[in-house]
Amino acid sequence: MPQLDASFFRPFIEGTLKTLKVQCKTDAFHESPFFKGMKTEPVFAIAGVIDIASVTFTGRISLCFPEPVFLGMMERMLEESFPEITLELQDGVAELLNMIFGQAKVTLNEQGHTIQKAIPTVVRDNTLNTPIGKTVVLPFKTDLGVFHIEIRSDS
Amino acid sequence: MFSPDTHVLVVDDMMTMRKLVTKTCKELGFSKITDAADGALAWAAIQQADPPIGLIISDWNMPNTSGLDLLKRVRADSRFGKIPFIMVTAEAEQHQIMEAVKSGVSNYVIKPFTAEVLKEKLEVVHKKISAA
Repeated sequence: MPQLDASFFRPFIEGTLKTLKVQCKTDAFHESPFFKGMKTEPVFAIAGVIDIASVTFTGRISLCFPEPVFLGMMERMLEESFPEITLELQDGVAELLNMIFGQAKVTLNEQGHTIQKAIPTVVRDNTLNTPIGKTVVLPFKTDLGVFHIEIRSDS
Repeated sequence: MFSPDTHVLVVDDMMTMRKLVTKTCKELGFSKITDAADGALAWAAIQQADPPIGLIISDWNMPNTSGLDLLKRVRADSRFGKIPFIMVTAEAEQHQIMEAVKSGVSNYVIKPFTAEVLKEKLEVVHKKISAA
Protein backbone atom coordinates (compact mmCIF):
# COMPACT_ATOMS: atom_id res chain seq x y z
CA MET A 1 0.00 0.00 0.00
CA PRO A 2 2.56 2.60 -1.11
CA GLN A 3 0.02 5.42 -1.08
CA LEU A 4 -0.26 5.34 2.70
CA ASP A 5 3.29 6.25 3.56
CA ALA A 6 4.29 9.04 5.93
CA SER A 7 4.62 11.64 3.18
CA PHE A 8 0.95 11.07 2.36
CA PHE A 9 -0.53 11.24 5.83
CA ARG A 10 1.85 13.79 7.43
CA PRO A 11 0.05 16.76 5.74
CA PHE A 12 -3.18 15.60 7.40
CA ILE A 13 -1.47 15.55 10.81
CA GLU A 14 -0.06 19.04 10.28
CA GLY A 15 -3.40 20.34 8.99
CA THR A 16 -5.19 18.90 12.02
CA LEU A 17 -2.81 20.44 14.55
CA LYS A 18 -3.07 23.88 12.91
CA THR A 19 -6.84 23.79 12.40
CA LEU A 20 -7.59 22.88 16.00
CA LYS A 21 -5.07 25.38 17.35
CA VAL A 22 -6.42 28.31 15.31
CA GLN A 23 -10.14 27.53 15.12
CA CYS A 24 -10.78 25.67 18.37
CA LYS A 25 -7.99 27.11 20.52
CA THR A 26 -6.93 23.55 21.31
CA ASP A 27 -3.48 22.01 21.33
CA ALA A 28 -3.61 18.53 19.85
CA PHE A 29 -0.78 16.02 20.01
CA HIS A 30 -0.46 13.21 17.51
CA GLU A 31 0.42 9.68 18.55
CA SER A 32 1.87 6.82 16.49
CA PRO A 33 -0.21 5.89 13.44
CA PHE A 34 -1.29 2.25 13.10
CA PHE A 35 -3.16 0.08 10.66
CA LYS A 36 -6.76 -0.47 11.66
CA GLY A 37 -7.14 -3.86 13.31
CA MET A 38 -3.71 -3.81 14.95
CA LYS A 39 -5.01 -2.12 18.11
CA THR A 40 -8.37 -1.69 19.82
CA GLU A 41 -10.63 0.07 17.37
CA PRO A 42 -11.30 3.67 18.41
CA VAL A 43 -14.97 4.56 18.80
CA PHE A 44 -16.60 7.79 17.72
CA ALA A 45 -19.99 9.49 17.71
CA ILE A 46 -19.56 11.70 14.68
CA ALA A 47 -17.26 11.79 11.65
CA GLY A 48 -16.63 14.08 8.71
CA VAL A 49 -15.88 12.12 5.54
CA ILE A 50 -14.27 13.09 2.23
CA ASP A 51 -13.96 10.68 -0.68
CA ILE A 52 -10.89 11.22 -2.83
CA ALA A 53 -10.34 10.02 -6.38
CA SER A 54 -7.09 11.10 -8.00
CA VAL A 55 -4.54 9.54 -10.35
CA THR A 56 -2.37 8.47 -7.40
CA PHE A 57 -4.87 7.78 -4.64
CA THR A 58 -8.43 6.60 -4.33
CA GLY A 59 -9.93 6.34 -0.89
CA ARG A 60 -11.56 8.13 1.99
CA ILE A 61 -10.45 10.49 4.74
CA SER A 62 -12.51 10.53 7.94
CA LEU A 63 -12.20 12.81 10.95
CA CYS A 64 -13.77 11.01 13.93
CA PHE A 65 -14.73 12.42 17.32
CA PRO A 66 -16.33 10.96 20.46
CA GLU A 67 -19.30 13.15 21.45
CA PRO A 68 -17.72 15.01 24.44
CA VAL A 69 -14.61 15.87 22.42
CA PHE A 70 -16.64 17.20 19.48
CA LEU A 71 -18.92 19.23 21.75
CA GLY A 72 -15.87 20.68 23.49
CA MET A 73 -14.32 21.65 20.15
CA MET A 74 -17.54 23.34 19.01
CA GLU A 75 -17.87 25.17 22.32
CA ARG A 76 -14.36 26.59 21.91
CA MET A 77 -14.91 27.44 18.24
CA LEU A 78 -18.28 29.13 18.62
CA GLU A 79 -18.01 30.23 22.26
CA GLU A 80 -21.36 28.66 23.09
CA SER A 81 -22.07 25.51 25.04
CA PHE A 82 -23.95 22.62 23.45
CA PRO A 83 -25.49 19.78 25.48
CA GLU A 84 -25.72 17.38 22.51
CA ILE A 85 -24.89 17.00 18.83
CA THR A 86 -27.86 18.45 16.98
CA LEU A 87 -28.53 18.38 13.24
CA GLU A 88 -27.51 22.04 13.12
CA LEU A 89 -24.25 21.45 14.95
CA GLN A 90 -23.10 18.32 13.14
CA ASP A 91 -21.82 20.13 10.06
CA GLY A 92 -19.03 21.46 12.30
CA VAL A 93 -17.16 18.19 11.87
CA ALA A 94 -17.41 18.50 8.09
CA GLU A 95 -16.10 22.06 8.27
CA LEU A 96 -13.12 21.08 10.43
CA LEU A 97 -12.30 18.29 7.97
CA ASN A 98 -12.70 20.72 5.09
CA MET A 99 -10.07 22.99 6.66
CA ILE A 100 -7.69 20.08 7.34
CA PHE A 101 -8.19 18.71 3.83
CA GLY A 102 -7.67 22.13 2.23
CA GLN A 103 -4.27 22.47 3.90
CA ALA A 104 -3.20 18.88 3.23
CA LYS A 105 -4.24 19.16 -0.42
CA VAL A 106 -1.80 22.02 -1.05
CA THR A 107 1.15 19.93 0.19
CA LEU A 108 -0.02 16.73 -1.51
CA ASN A 109 -0.53 18.44 -4.86
CA GLU A 110 2.95 19.96 -4.59
CA GLN A 111 4.15 16.35 -4.21
CA GLY A 112 2.45 15.45 -7.49
CA HIS A 113 -0.92 14.12 -6.36
CA THR A 114 -3.73 15.68 -8.34
CA ILE A 115 -6.37 15.87 -5.65
CA GLN A 116 -9.43 17.90 -6.52
CA LYS A 117 -11.89 19.83 -4.38
CA ALA A 118 -14.42 17.69 -2.52
CA ILE A 119 -17.38 18.45 -0.29
CA PRO A 120 -17.35 16.57 3.04
CA THR A 121 -20.32 14.67 4.42
CA VAL A 122 -21.22 13.69 8.00
CA VAL A 123 -21.50 10.16 9.40
CA ARG A 124 -22.97 9.35 12.83
CA ASP A 125 -22.71 6.43 15.23
CA ASN A 126 -19.53 4.56 14.40
CA THR A 127 -20.59 3.33 10.98
CA LEU A 128 -17.63 4.01 8.69
CA ASN A 129 -17.20 0.32 7.79
CA THR A 130 -13.57 0.79 6.85
CA PRO A 131 -11.86 -2.45 5.85
CA ILE A 132 -9.21 -3.69 8.29
CA GLY A 133 -5.69 -3.63 6.88
CA LYS A 134 -6.39 -0.97 4.25
CA THR A 135 -6.93 1.84 6.72
CA VAL A 136 -4.36 3.86 8.64
CA VAL A 137 -5.51 5.39 11.93
CA LEU A 138 -3.91 8.67 13.02
CA PRO A 139 -4.67 9.10 16.73
CA PHE A 140 -4.62 12.48 18.50
CA LYS A 141 -4.75 13.49 22.14
CA THR A 142 -6.12 16.78 23.55
CA ASP A 143 -7.18 18.07 26.96
CA LEU A 144 -10.77 17.37 25.84
CA GLY A 145 -10.00 13.71 25.10
CA VAL A 146 -8.84 11.62 22.16
CA PHE A 147 -10.01 11.60 18.53
CA HIS A 148 -8.64 10.19 15.30
CA ILE A 149 -8.38 10.43 11.53
CA GLU A 150 -8.78 7.38 9.31
CA ILE A 151 -7.20 7.24 5.87
CA ARG A 152 -8.65 4.39 3.82
CA SER A 153 -7.04 3.30 0.60
CA ASP A 154 -9.19 1.75 -2.13
CA SER A 155 -6.35 1.89 -4.67
CA MET B 1 -12.11 50.41 8.66
CA PHE B 2 -15.68 49.77 7.50
CA SER B 3 -18.41 51.58 9.41
CA PRO B 4 -20.07 49.41 12.08
CA ASP B 5 -23.38 50.24 10.34
CA THR B 6 -22.28 48.41 7.19
CA HIS B 7 -24.81 45.70 6.33
CA VAL B 8 -22.80 42.48 6.11
CA LEU B 9 -23.96 39.39 4.21
CA VAL B 10 -22.42 36.12 5.42
CA VAL B 11 -22.79 33.21 2.99
CA ASP B 12 -21.94 29.61 3.87
CA ASP B 13 -23.73 26.29 3.47
CA MET B 14 -22.45 25.14 6.88
CA MET B 15 -24.37 26.51 9.86
CA THR B 16 -21.34 26.34 12.14
CA MET B 17 -19.31 28.48 9.72
CA ARG B 18 -22.12 31.04 9.38
CA LYS B 19 -22.16 31.23 13.19
CA LEU B 20 -18.39 31.53 13.35
CA VAL B 21 -18.14 34.28 10.71
CA THR B 22 -21.13 36.12 12.21
CA LYS B 23 -19.57 35.94 15.69
CA THR B 24 -16.28 37.23 14.28
CA CYS B 25 -18.06 40.11 12.52
CA LYS B 26 -19.77 41.07 15.78
CA GLU B 27 -16.38 41.02 17.53
CA LEU B 28 -15.19 43.45 14.86
CA GLY B 29 -18.08 45.80 15.66
CA PHE B 30 -20.61 45.06 12.92
CA SER B 31 -24.20 45.01 14.12
CA LYS B 32 -26.28 44.51 10.96
CA ILE B 33 -25.53 41.01 9.70
CA THR B 34 -27.64 38.84 7.40
CA ASP B 35 -26.76 35.26 6.54
CA ALA B 36 -27.56 32.94 3.66
CA ALA B 37 -27.02 29.20 3.28
CA ASP B 38 -26.09 29.18 -0.40
CA GLY B 39 -25.32 31.39 -3.37
CA ALA B 40 -28.89 31.47 -4.65
CA LEU B 41 -30.30 32.61 -1.29
CA ALA B 42 -27.49 35.13 -1.04
CA TRP B 43 -28.37 36.58 -4.45
CA ALA B 44 -32.00 36.98 -3.33
CA ALA B 45 -30.84 38.66 -0.11
CA ILE B 46 -28.60 41.06 -2.03
CA GLN B 47 -31.51 42.17 -4.22
CA GLN B 48 -33.95 42.61 -1.35
CA ALA B 49 -31.71 43.95 1.42
CA ASP B 50 -32.69 47.16 3.20
CA PRO B 51 -30.36 48.82 4.02
CA PRO B 52 -28.39 47.61 1.01
CA ILE B 53 -25.61 45.07 1.50
CA GLY B 54 -22.28 46.85 1.96
CA LEU B 55 -19.99 43.85 2.41
CA ILE B 56 -20.20 40.20 1.35
CA ILE B 57 -18.23 37.48 3.16
CA SER B 58 -18.76 34.21 1.33
CA ASP B 59 -17.57 30.64 1.44
CA TRP B 60 -16.22 29.32 -1.86
CA ASN B 61 -17.00 25.62 -1.73
CA MET B 62 -20.80 25.29 -1.64
CA PRO B 63 -23.14 22.93 -3.47
CA ASN B 64 -25.27 24.32 -6.33
CA THR B 65 -24.20 27.98 -6.53
CA SER B 66 -20.58 28.28 -5.35
CA GLY B 67 -19.00 31.39 -3.87
CA LEU B 68 -17.20 31.94 -7.15
CA ASP B 69 -20.50 31.78 -9.08
CA LEU B 70 -21.99 34.30 -6.65
CA LEU B 71 -18.98 36.59 -7.03
CA LYS B 72 -19.27 36.54 -10.84
CA ARG B 73 -23.00 37.26 -10.63
CA VAL B 74 -22.46 40.21 -8.28
CA ARG B 75 -19.65 41.66 -10.38
CA ALA B 76 -21.71 41.34 -13.57
CA ASP B 77 -24.60 43.40 -12.16
CA SER B 78 -24.11 47.17 -12.27
CA ARG B 79 -26.35 47.65 -9.19
CA PHE B 80 -24.11 45.52 -6.97
CA GLY B 81 -20.85 45.25 -8.88
CA LYS B 82 -18.87 47.42 -6.47
CA ILE B 83 -19.85 45.67 -3.21
CA PRO B 84 -16.66 44.53 -1.43
CA PHE B 85 -16.53 40.72 -1.63
CA ILE B 86 -14.34 38.63 0.69
CA MET B 87 -13.97 34.93 -0.11
CA VAL B 88 -13.47 32.64 2.87
CA THR B 89 -12.01 29.39 1.69
CA ALA B 90 -10.11 26.29 2.71
CA GLU B 91 -8.67 26.27 -0.83
CA ALA B 92 -5.19 27.76 -0.45
CA GLU B 93 -3.76 26.74 -3.82
CA GLN B 94 -2.32 29.55 -5.88
CA HIS B 95 -4.30 28.85 -9.05
CA GLN B 96 -7.57 28.97 -7.11
CA ILE B 97 -6.68 32.28 -5.50
CA MET B 98 -5.76 33.64 -8.94
CA GLU B 99 -9.13 32.50 -10.30
CA ALA B 100 -10.92 34.43 -7.56
CA VAL B 101 -8.77 37.53 -8.12
CA LYS B 102 -9.48 37.35 -11.87
CA SER B 103 -13.20 37.22 -11.10
CA GLY B 104 -12.99 40.39 -9.01
CA VAL B 105 -12.71 39.21 -5.40
CA SER B 106 -11.73 42.06 -3.07
CA ASN B 107 -9.72 39.82 -0.75
CA TYR B 108 -9.70 36.28 0.55
CA VAL B 109 -9.33 34.56 3.92
CA ILE B 110 -7.86 31.08 4.16
CA LYS B 111 -9.48 28.84 6.77
CA PRO B 112 -8.69 28.26 9.59
CA PHE B 113 -8.67 31.94 10.53
CA THR B 114 -8.85 34.28 13.52
CA ALA B 115 -10.76 37.55 14.02
CA GLU B 116 -7.43 39.39 13.65
CA VAL B 117 -6.88 37.90 10.19
CA LEU B 118 -10.36 38.87 9.02
CA LYS B 119 -9.85 42.37 10.41
CA GLU B 120 -6.54 42.77 8.54
CA LYS B 121 -8.14 41.63 5.27
CA LEU B 122 -11.05 44.04 5.75
CA GLU B 123 -8.68 46.91 6.45
CA VAL B 124 -6.81 46.21 3.21
CA VAL B 125 -10.08 46.22 1.27
CA HIS B 126 -11.25 49.41 2.92
CA LYS B 127 -7.96 51.17 2.11
CA LYS B 128 -8.26 50.10 -1.54
CA ILE B 129 -11.81 51.46 -1.73
CA SER B 130 -10.86 54.71 0.00
CA ALA B 131 -7.92 55.22 -2.37
CA ALA B 132 -9.99 54.58 -5.50
